[in-house]
Amino acid sequence: MLKALNQNMKRVIFLLLGIFILNHAWPTIAQAQQCNLSLKGQVLNADTGLPMAYAGIVIKETQQGVESDEHGHYQLINLCPGEYTLVCSHIGCDHAEQKLRLRSSSVLDISLKENAVTLQNVVVTGTVGKKAGTQTTSELSGTALDAGKGLGLGESLKRLSGVSSLNTGATISKPIIQGMHSNRILIFNNGVRLEGQQWGSEHAPEVDPFNSERITVVKGAGSVRYGSDALGGIILMEPKPMRHNPGIGGELHLQSFTNGRSGIASGMLEGKLAKLPLSGRIQGTLKRAGNLQTPNYYLNNTGAAESNFSWSAKYQPEQWVLETFYSHFYTQLGILSDSHIGNLTDLNNAIERGRPLQDGSFSYDLGRPLQRILHETFRVKIAHSISEKDKLTFQASRQFNRRQEYDAHRRYNVLPKNLDEPNIAFEITTWAAELNWDHRLGRNWQGAMGTTAQKQINTVDRGALIPGFDNFDAGMYWTERHFKVGNPWEFEFGARYDIRHLHIGEQGTTVIDQNRNFNNWSASLGLLYAFNDVLKLRFNSGSAWRSPLVNELFSSGVHHGSASYEQGNPDLQPERGFNNSLTLEGVHTQKWSFALTAYLNLVNNYIYLQPRAAPELTIRGAFPAFDYQQADARIMGLDWTADYVLYKNLHLESKISLINGWNRELHDFLIYMPPFRFDQGLKLNFNGQKHPDHPSFVRVGVLAVMRQQQAPATDYATPPPGYVRVDAEFFHTFEWGKQHLELGISVFNLLNTSYREYLNRFRYFTAEPGRNLGFRLKVPFNFSRK
Amino acid sequence: MKRISFKWSTLAILGLALFGCEKDNNGGPDNEQELITTVALKFVGGGQTLTFTAEDKDGDGGQAPIIQPIALKANTDYALTVTFLDASKAPSLDLTVEVKKESNDHLVCFVATGAMVSPQPQDKDAAGNTLGLESTLKTGAVGSGTLRITLKHMPTKSSPSACGTGETDAEATFNVTVQ
Repeated sequence: MLKALNQNMKRVIFLLLGIFILNHAWPTIAQAQQCNLSLKGQVLNADTGLPMAYAGIVIKETQQGVESDEHGHYQLINLCPGEYTLVCSHIGCDHAEQKLRLRSSSVLDISLKENAVTLQNVVVTGTVGKKAGTQTTSELSGTALDAGKGLGLGESLKRLSGVSSLNTGATISKPIIQGMHSNRILIFNNGVRLEGQQWGSEHAPEVDPFNSERITVVKGAGSVRYGSDALGGIILMEPKPMRHNPGIGGELHLQSFTNGRSGIASGMLEGKLAKLPLSGRIQGTLKRAGNLQTPNYYLNNTGAAESNFSWSAKYQPEQWVLETFYSHFYTQLGILSDSHIGNLTDLNNAIERGRPLQDGSFSYDLGRPLQRILHETFRVKIAHSISEKDKLTFQASRQFNRRQEYDAHRRYNVLPKNLDEPNIAFEITTWAAELNWDHRLGRNWQGAMGTTAQKQINTVDRGALIPGFDNFDAGMYWTERHFKVGNPWEFEFGARYDIRHLHIGEQGTTVIDQNRNFNNWSASLGLLYAFNDVLKLRFNSGSAWRSPLVNELFSSGVHHGSASYEQGNPDLQPERGFNNSLTLEGVHTQKWSFALTAYLNLVNNYIYLQPRAAPELTIRGAFPAFDYQQADARIMGLDWTADYVLYKNLHLESKISLINGWNRELHDFLIYMPPFRFDQGLKLNFNGQKHPDHPSFVRVGVLAVMRQQQAPATDYATPPPGYVRVDAEFFHTFEWGKQHLELGISVFNLLNTSYREYLNRFRYFTAEPGRNLGFRLKVPFNFSRK
Repeated sequence: MKRISFKWSTLAILGLALFGCEKDNNGGPDNEQELITTVALKFVGGGQTLTFTAEDKDGDGGQAPIIQPIALKANTDYALTVTFLDASKAPSLDLTVEVKKESNDHLVCFVATGAMVSPQPQDKDAAGNTLGLESTLKTGAVGSGTLRITLKHMPTKSSPSACGTGETDAEATFNVTVQ
């Protein structure tokens, strides 16, 4: 069945490709115009303001290139007027790209930042700073990111092809990349690997999306630079670079959504001194939301309250960068009251009803069941440019995470003061240090080498679901990339060795006191072949491993939200993943762009929950029981994303993802694999001349999701039927006096369709939220001395 | 040189900030297992007082609950009292007190099969709805059957199938012989 579908898909995709190629012959550069323009200037290091010598500057379209001299000066001559993509290669800019429109001879100083370029004194069309390397990445930034920030990270990332989310009710959402989630995905928030209680599928990432300007998803296991255990992929959340020009500036975001009657305010204020190379920033977000509503009823106790703040400072004397960052994240998430059940009988009653018992009503009150999560991050980073070809970076960080879960049920306890205490409380503290050496060997080799260490202590204050533990990890990595301007081939490889020591303490009143030691290799290989300026082929192959976590080894107890009894397996061995992906991507300036990825992930010793034949009997009745087990698994799929100009400013946006997860030992499907998604949108841009960075637009999207036919038979209820949902969005950039403003209006589920999502663990109890009208306003401001 | 010392002292201060702010873990772990370990039944009738328990002292997992079989006389009127205990502590805690204190949020449900007849609740909660801690029954002919007792938390008592709502706090199915 799947094979046939795959083949059909392939046919359709190749057909589409064929149409594109027929309609648009490969681009040719106009030669007939006067080609006597020049572009010259100086290449500067944005961090230090000093000239950068020997940086390669190439115009991608014409392959004209120069290298800056020892004072950073460069000059390109005999250029035709037109639109170009400037590519810079240097240790500091790492193959950054920038589009520009050249009308007359220009002087252009280029400030190079880490992985990004900023240009001054020219008209810039587009702000995409493409990451270098052979890996398949998707990026969310600008308007697309702003629109989803108020809905949380998991919801924002769904805009990317191949990324979906695993939800627990309407308030908890965590990202799935190519079928993998939780601890098979690493999240880096401002350079720090997020360490919370990520093992639970109802534990949402503890990050404030308003703190990020760009979110990059690296799919697959190819990136050894970040860690060995990223079998599914990596999410990099990056804040806006610190202010470059002296003065004060900032941003204010105001958002509101009708469903849940939520209000979100987020502000950022930053400044840079004129006399000292010192810049700073403070940022904060407040969010309040009430009960959500499906087309037919309210969902009681689905509100949320969030308050976050962060500050950062950067001091950058010549050749040095000193940065500190602190963030404080606190959220309270209400969980649908009706999802809280006692045992198998309750679960069957709830599934039979299929909806909450009462229609509910609107309220901002947060009652039990409730989650309260605090996450603190503190980071210090010191970077030193030893030469133009070498940079040393040291980073140290501390994270503290406290998770408190309040069951609907209060504890039967004689002391009334205990009635407000959580049923489950974990505290995890993580210290990490990292030393990295970025280097350039000769003209064509660039790489990084480094070492990481991490110490973690988890204490369980309440509940005996998992034991307390502490662990120590250390790793070493080395990556090199080979590239040559004008050469169609580019390749990179990486290797990594990690050790992990895990000590398990007490579980409840039982002393376990056991140790586990793991160590192993990870490796990656990437190849890129550019057929021409339009078409590129990427191949990535990597192997990563992940040691079993404490919940997989020792969990023992009832998960109330899912009415399941989970039993860990102390004999679990590490998982080993082999990841292969092939991506064909094409970018035809102003006409179309697409990326098609096919991937095959083989995971040996894949850890999963296997239902037990007989339910576990407790004093609360029978619970379905699950055991952690291992088997060889296979996850494969296709991701397709494309943008096609139908007519002038009218774009067709297309995203398709198809995935299949298979247990190779039990010959059964894997649970919680995203069903086939087909997402098409029409987008009309306007006002593009006035605001080339953020053109105004109207977009209507239709999302079709099929019923998950490839689900294991062991689920409580069959997967819900497929659905079609219509979303719409309007975005407008305008000036109000001298103030630049960005206004967005979005409608989620325009037709108020009632549907259920397979990847929502509460689909047994309730439908998904109904129509949601969102408003957002972004006010950037800037007071710089001219 | 001066610059360097400034740098290192800044670094040292930041280092202190980094490693010096660990939170206190107040009072040590409180890992007690939850709630009810024992459902105790007291039948008074036919000139006898009979008690039977369903007990799971080690909590979820581990040993399965031990449920005593119930033996009742045929054609006899009984008054049944249900109590809930936490017997993992010594002395054991009577949690029925808590159930009574929050009587509006609790309901005891009975399901009888075979020769067992379903007990009829006699007590009311603070709002005048059924509670079920106290009930009566009159056994019939000789035979065998089962009696399932469920303590519900936050049920919708107005619902015609109130026992199908709310969350189960305790549940035990006893085998019954009527002789």
